[in-house]
Amino acid sequence: MTRGLPLLLVALTLVATSYRDATAQHAPILNGALAKLDIKPAQIGARGTPKGTLTIAMHFALDPGWLDPLEHSYAITQMMYDYLVHDSMIKPMPYGYVAYGLAEHAELAADFRRAAFRLRPGLKFHDGQPLTTADVKWTYENFKGAYAKLFHDKLEHIQVIDDRTIVFHFKEPFIDFMDLYNGGVSGIGWIVPSRYYDKAGRDGFKAKPIGAGPYKLVSQQAGVQMVFEAFDDYWRRTPATKTIVVKGIRDGAARMAGLQTGELDVAFGMTGKLLPRLMSDRNLRWDPNFTGPWWLMFPGYNEQGSPFRDKRVRQAVSLAINRSFLVKQETQDISKPWGNWISGENRDALQGAEAPVPEYNVEKAKQLMKQAGFPDGFEVEYLPFPPYFDMGERILTDLRTIGIRGKLQSLEGPAFRAKIGQGRKGVPGNRTIVQNIDPRAGGSKSNIAVYAVCGSTASFVCEPQIEALWAKHQASLDPVERERLVKSIQRILLDEYYFVPIYLNSFVHGIGPRVLPEGKAVSKYWDTLNAPYPWPWEVWEVKADR
Amino acid sequence: MKKYILVRALYSVVTLWLLVTIIFGLVRLTGDPVAMKAEAGADPAYVAQLRHSWGLDQPLHRQYMGFIGRLLRGDFGHSFEKSLPVRDIYFERLPNSLKLGFAAFLISLALGVPFGMLSALKVNSVWDNAGKVIALLGLSMPGFFVGLVLIIVFGIQLGWLPVLGKGSSAFVWSAPSTWATFWFRDWAHLAMPAFALGWYFSGAMLRITRSGMLDVLGSDYIKLVRLKGVPEAVVVAKHALKNSMIPVLTFAGLNLLIMVNVSVVIEVIFNWPGVGQLLYDALSNRDFPMVQGVVLMSGLLIVLLNFTIDVLYGYVDPRIRLSR
Amino acid sequence: MATIPIATDQTVAVLRVARRGYRALQNVPVIPLLMLGVLTAMAILAPIVAPHSKLDPVKPLRGQCLAKFNMPDCPYVDNAPPFWAAGGTLDTPLGTDSLGRDVLSRLMHGARISLIVALTGTLFAGAIGTILGVLAGYMGRWWDEIIMRITDAWLTLPSLVFAILLSSVREPSLWNVVLILGLVFWSRYSRAVRGEVLTLRERDFVKLAEINGIDKLTIIRRHLIPNVMNTVMVLFSLQVGVAVIIEASLSFLGFGVPPPEPSWGLMMAQERESLMEGRWWLEVFPGICITMLVLSANMLGDWLRVRLDPQLRNR
Repeated sequence: MTRGLPLLLVALTLVATSYRDATAQHAPILNGALAKLDIKPAQIGARGTPKGTLTIAMHFALDPGWLDPLEHSYAITQMMYDYLVHDSMIKPMPYGYVAYGLAEHAELAADFRRAAFRLRPGLKFHDGQPLTTADVKWTYENFKGAYAKLFHDKLEHIQVIDDRTIVFHFKEPFIDFMDLYNGGVSGIGWIVPSRYYDKAGRDGFKAKPIGAGPYKLVSQQAGVQMVFEAFDDYWRRTPATKTIVVKGIRDGAARMAGLQTGELDVAFGMTGKLLPRLMSDRNLRWDPNFTGPWWLMFPGYNEQGSPFRDKRVRQAVSLAINRSFLVKQETQDISKPWGNWISGENRDALQGAEAPVPEYNVEKAKQLMKQAGFPDGFEVEYLPFPPYFDMGERILTDLRTIGIRGKLQSLEGPAFRAKIGQGRKGVPGNRTIVQNIDPRAGGSKSNIAVYAVCGSTASFVCEPQIEALWAKHQASLDPVERERLVKSIQRILLDEYYFVPIYLNSFVHGIGPRVLPEGKAVSKYWDTLNAPYPWPWEVWEVKADR
Repeated sequence: MKKYILVRALYSVVTLWLLVTIIFGLVRLTGDPVAMKAEAGADPAYVAQLRHSWGLDQPLHRQYMGFIGRLLRGDFGHSFEKSLPVRDIYFERLPNSLKLGFAAFLISLALGVPFGMLSALKVNSVWDNAGKVIALLGLSMPGFFVGLVLIIVFGIQLGWLPVLGKGSSAFVWSAPSTWATFWFRDWAHLAMPAFALGWYFSGAMLRITRSGMLDVLGSDYIKLVRLKGVPEAVVVAKHALKNSMIPVLTFAGLNLLIMVNVSVVIEVIFNWPGVGQLLYDALSNRDFPMVQGVVLMSGLLIVLLNFTIDVLYGYVDPRIRLSR
Repeated sequence: MATIPIATDQTVAVLRVARRGYRALQNVPVIPLLMLGVLTAMAILAPIVAPHSKLDPVKPLRGQCLAKFNMPDCPYVDNAPPFWAAGGTLDTPLGTDSLGRDVLSRLMHGARISLIVALTGTLFAGAIGTILGVLAGYMGRWWDEIIMRITDAWLTLPSLVFAILLSSVREPSLWNVVLILGLVFWSRYSRAVRGEVLTLRERDFVKLAEINGIDKLTIIRRHLIPNVMNTVMVLFSLQVGVAVIIEASLSFLGFGVPPPEPSWGLMMAQERESLMEGRWWLEVFPGICITMLVLSANMLGDWLRVRLDPQLRNR
């Protein structure tokens, strides 16, 4: 019996230490009151052997710059490559709005002036070098990407306690820090190997990137194709697929053809006319992949002489759009008419009963137009989001029934984004309707910060009521009050028809027969919130016949 | 002769310089790439930093001098969109375009020359008329139409040929083992785009062969050979064919270069990773260095070819080099 | 002693004219002229003759809504097949596109666009190119050098690429495409015209005019330009076909005439995905129209070339 006791103790200790669970206590790093954080623990998976090749088609040419988190763009597309090659301290996962990645424990001081992280043990980069807080510090200091100025301005200094513990000290309360440090919002949390980057340089790093993520880049043909191979020592689990090939194929019809011939396993952006074929092919599957809502904006509405100055005209526009027929024609009834311009995946967005789908009533619309003094309508310019020109034309057909005659301006993607990004400078008239979509991460406040406040270059809306609420929001340190203010702002935007929501877009992805699991269960790969692409990648499984 | 070569070389340089300057100016009229790369809500510091790293915050003449200076050192700059050096990306893609161009060229020869010969030998017969109609059809159907029909029939309905890209073989400059094998592998991927591209030029080949043959067949030299009693088949094969090939080959050489440059639409439809697609992407994204680099390289090739042809003609035909 | 009545003279004269006319008719290329005639008629008469609007969807007939959507009423019926297939009606004989618009009407209006763009664009190019070519050939060494160097530089630019570049400078529109066609293709004319002028100016009638002290401008106007017209016309007719294809390619790539105008190239671009769905008529009909237009222009150009160049006439 006495001999068995140490054995039992050893066994118990082994069990206790091998059981990684949320309730395991982490030694606190900061002293003082802490803010409440809702970060899910990582789900560690089994180790095994990666098998098979997965071929993915993106809907535009590939940019090697996406492999470099230090120059992370605002665009969310880059995160697809972040999830492949790199890893972040905290990031969205299918099992949590935010979950631990490289970090296993994070703390935020209640006064929002300090933030602390502890890395999990044994982290390695692809070249075998250990990932330490030195790399975390270096990444923060050398970050040049989106929000860099904000991060650098607010930082006072970084305190490295040991190889695994680090504390950020800020000059003033940085309430949005955890939201922005989230790998799903900005690139600063995706950790880069400092020594390797220094040696390889900007160009060298983009040609041969090294990260801590589940896949290593094996080869690339700039713009055309990137080939990745599994990194067996990834901390979370061995990736299930051995090779991932990403191709940049601009052309929708080509992607469709590739799916049908089996040259592609997954194709993004199967929209519009490709859908019926995709849905009717028994070999193929699809995921609706709801991204964000479409909405209309009225640049220059608050100027004298603009027909949209009158709320009744804006309301008439909303009443004239036959959303249910539109959804049937454009998206084979997959999409849902929506009452808000921010998607419901953001917890602080109005949705459901709070933001009901606007009604469709042409007679009422005509009456409002007459009351506003436009019984015969007027002419407008219509600027649709490329390449959804068909959708723009359908909406214009609807608007013609109440007398609004629109001329479609068809620009290419980058040109459109440039115009919208410059706000009034980019779209100077006051008889224009802009059709936009922007499923950005970071909660409703980031959408409002870009499109609804006077201070934003891209905004067409400038209302004193909203400004007052926004000022209060920026000054407040109380999350509950902030959420209330954000919802009030949305309320105003919707009730006054400054924005006219249309429907929640489904950016359909086509899936070939080789992707496992079979059948509809394959949709589980799209479970991550606020993700237009099906990351993470280490869980993807394919038939191992290639 | 030397003077002639020098003069033509000077002309080539001037043409190239003009080309470079025209492109430099035009490209900068097409819009602001910084505005296109930065998303809505980007903070002004980020935008300013981007503009600075691309050198677009400098006055125009400084940009031009810097551009020319780097050009003379062989540095085409960094692509705005792809972040890598333009020269590397271009040379990575060039073999793909050359492969497509060569294949299309061979197809246009294989289709055009035999029918052209047939037309010439049986002038004004049914064959001749048929040949004329085929040539015309080739020149009249847009390349993208042909390509689309091919994809539907051979790619999807019959499933005989793959519809995407160029297959897995790559021409890697640093790996000499790929230099030879690259041209012969993945012919299945090559078949449809090469046919769609070559179809248009086979019409032109047909006509050139026909008129060249007719010229030669009516010449005194052939009359003499016939008088000597040489059998007709030998007349055609040995004498007429050889002599009519000169204009055909000259024209074909020019066509090859045109093909490489004009294949944009075909490359887009078939997702062929060539220089045409590179340019198309670059134009959409207002990627100034890439557009400048690709157009310059294409222009360089054409100018070199013209120069070579001029020199060869000058050598062969004294009248040309002694005039003006 | 019978005098020959005047009537017989007149009869003989009429017969002679008739015979000449008949021979002329034999040599005239009937097929291309017929095709071109049909297309031009379509283009001119489109607003009157087209059964439906080019922009608005067709109002569905009774029963169509029921058959397609199982709804008693619907704004439009999209993707109706041609009248000979199941589900098609004679109301929209060539079917409707994915926005419910009548394909036949759009094709007819598209003829306008293709013809206007191709003809005006090529005319524009021809005008610039001819003037520059004449100046280069006649006005002296420096003019020649400068214009020819610019022409060479222009010619090294691949036409489609150049066209896309130019169309990125301004927003796409019909007249921008015409402008682009002019700016891209003038160099083809200036080369050939310059060559002609170089030979012409050695001719006696030009030298005589110079000796008589007639100023250069008048010589250009009265002697040179009319005599290069042959070459220019041949080039013109051959270039029209190229212009149509370039316009179609531009619209196909998204850089040409913008939607919702029914340019044939644009119709093909927009309905590419429908081709994969089996709705071949949306792609094939515009493609056939383009081919017909280019074919007739090319055949006409060939005929003109043979007609105007004595050397080729007897082939």
